[in-house]
Amino acid sequence: MTTGAPSQIPVTVLTGYLGAGKTTLLNRILTEQHGKKYAVIINEFGAVGIDNDLVVDADEEIFEMNNGCICCTVRGDLIRIIGGLMKRAKDLDAIIIETTGLAAPAPVAQTFFSDDDVRARTKLDAIVTVVDAKFFLDRLKDSHEAEDQVAFADVILLNKTDLVTPEHLRSVEATIRQINKYAKVFHTQKSVIELDKILDRGAFDLERILEIEPEFLPRRGAGHGHDHHHDHGHDHGHHDHGHHDHAHGHDHAHGHDHAHGHDHDHDHHHDHGHDHAANPVHDTEIKSVSVTIDGPVNPDRFRMWISGVLREKGQDILRSKGVLAVDGEDRRLVFQGVHMIMDSNWGQPWRVADGRASKMVFIGRHLDADALTRGFKACAQAR
Amino acid sequence: MSGPPRRELEIGAYVVGLAYDADGTRLAVSTGAGRVAFLSPDPHDGEPLREVAVHDGASLSFARGIDPAGFVSGGDDGRLIAVAADGGTTELAQVRGKWFECVAAHPGKRLIAAGAGKVVHLVTPTGTRELGPHPSSVADIAFSPDGSRLAVAHYGGVTVHLTDKPGDKPRQLNWKGSHLAVRYSPNAKFLATATQENALHVWRLASGADMQMQGYATKVKSLAWTADANWLLSGGVELCVCWGFAGKGPEGQPPLELTPPGEPAVITRVAAHPAAPFVLLGFADGAVQIADIAKKRVTPLAEPTGSPVSALDWSPDGWRLAAGTEAGTLRLFDLKPRA
Repeated sequence: MTTGAPSQIPVTVLTGYLGAGKTTLLNRILTEQHGKKYAVIINEFGAVGIDNDLVVDADEEIFEMNNGCICCTVRGDLIRIIGGLMKRAKDLDAIIIETTGLAAPAPVAQTFFSDDDVRARTKLDAIVTVVDAKFFLDRLKDSHEAEDQVAFADVILLNKTDLVTPEHLRSVEATIRQINKYAKVFHTQKSVIELDKILDRGAFDLERILEIEPEFLPRRGAGHGHDHHHDHGHDHGHHDHGHHDHAHGHDHAHGHDHAHGHDHDHDHHHDHGHDHAANPVHDTEIKSVSVTIDGPVNPDRFRMWISGVLREKGQDILRSKGVLAVDGEDRRLVFQGVHMIMDSNWGQPWRVADGRASKMVFIGRHLDADALTRGFKACAQAR
Repeated sequence: MSGPPRRELEIGAYVVGLAYDADGTRLAVSTGAGRVAFLSPDPHDGEPLREVAVHDGASLSFARGIDPAGFVSGGDDGRLIAVAADGGTTELAQVRGKWFECVAAHPGKRLIAAGAGKVVHLVTPTGTRELGPHPSSVADIAFSPDGSRLAVAHYGGVTVHLTDKPGDKPRQLNWKGSHLAVRYSPNAKFLATATQENALHVWRLASGADMQMQGYATKVKSLAWTADANWLLSGGVELCVCWGFAGKGPEGQPPLELTPPGEPAVITRVAAHPAAPFVLLGFADGAVQIADIAKKRVTPLAEPTGSPVSALDWSPDGWRLAAGTEAGTLRLFDLKPRA
């Protein structure tokens, strides 16, 4: 544990479609003898109400930030409530936020990137999504939210596995993987899981992202079933000047940027090349695209490029993440984005085994995998 | 740092609010531990704190009350409590599952108002009324100088209620965005808000015309009008930015920008002197400085502590000051020359 003031309180966001088992999980967290003091932000007072925990009733208040950006929404109620909790922060170990089943996760995540006070005093630990193994594929047909919740997840509880056949379960998991390759997936029944698998994960912690998401590192030589963007060639693609990007990011006080601009003509390029012979995969709108450069990026070129990508496609890109090597710097440059909001920090030093490769991942709708691949590769540091 | 006499003490919890009683003989401080501490505002007095447990949880809002020696505190236990000078408490309102996050009092009209969720509870001599629900949770409230109106800040603007005509339709002042603080100018001509979007917004109440002041480094949470209503100041930036409202007002004019000495952090709290054009500035690093607008000068009063200033105010006679931080440091000062 780090000492020194003021420490950041970890926040876990629980999402999941109606009936997936979210409330069961929440009750499990609250009733387990964990010896910790949690503040739990819920939307309705239900059966919960545990002596040791502070339960706060929230109305989901989605605020558009008055900066002209329509996808830049935050949860105003969370800003207020977290501000209030910080006044008594001395006795809180963590904050857990339950969202309603129909909630889109973006405003919650964006709150933790956008609000200066929230950023200073808390850290988004992980978004945990509970998925109903039996009905998930049906939910995908009739709701954007179910898909979004999986796309945003750092940890997924694939729940009610006892209610489906092994074949169905494999199909559900393959579909989840198509949407989000990088979340940790646990199979559960009745939302039973060890709490240390979902709490205090540090999944959003830029320092720990690699440890939590081992898939994130390019594994040399390992079979990459879905990652068709490997390229071991060096020095190519430096001619992509298609993005006349001006880094419009406003340097806010704490160094997060916002890709401004509202060019929302969507190119409906779908991701090609996924070949899942093993299990029937439901055709999802949201997919993951990953791109690797076998070496460092040019940080200026990368900044220009990513600002342009998020400015133009940020409505469709739900999450973006990157771990980047930069010449002359021992530490990893770790990048995170939620829609158009982005944030980057220096993370842990590179280990020799990592090989200083740079990797970006995009999770979103209508992703043009080829354009993202070309664009990122054009950010490679010239040799 | 040399300077005026001071007293510094640790009260062990987030300083949520502080207020002097009407004649300035007592200072009361509410905290994140749900207690209200009373002490002498004179830094020369070494008397120990006298603390009263008020909330089961944190105090979230605090103000001088309507009685000369009384205070009022809103908590995250859903209770609005009047605290008397002797430490006696009276529950004024209670709501289940909501927090009293802002409170204001108007001693002349004997009104207390407090926001919980989307509703404002207005405590009057003849009973308590609920105003609202407003379009979102209430972020802040302010009485007009004569107490005839109550301004309620929320997402999308400000709702202005007539305090003695509950049936009348409130006036809506609309401006998209999240309004975090609201203050009337002392001459009641203007209403200012501080917003989540790093800006101030001001309405001319006679015409309804409005203006936006932007360029702050962060969201703005604190506002102060000088007593002569000529200047509007706020937090949200490292500079002391003073918008001039004398004459034709600030439209088209650059603000007066005073640069605090040293390497200032962002200003988190401001409080105007009761009579002179002085504004007390509290910074994100715990420093406290005084802006003298007439002399266009900012003077340090107390060095950084490392924790943001969360509450500060002047005594009613304008000679004493108090500032508290999130980490629980309370500092008292006395500016009065001693014989």
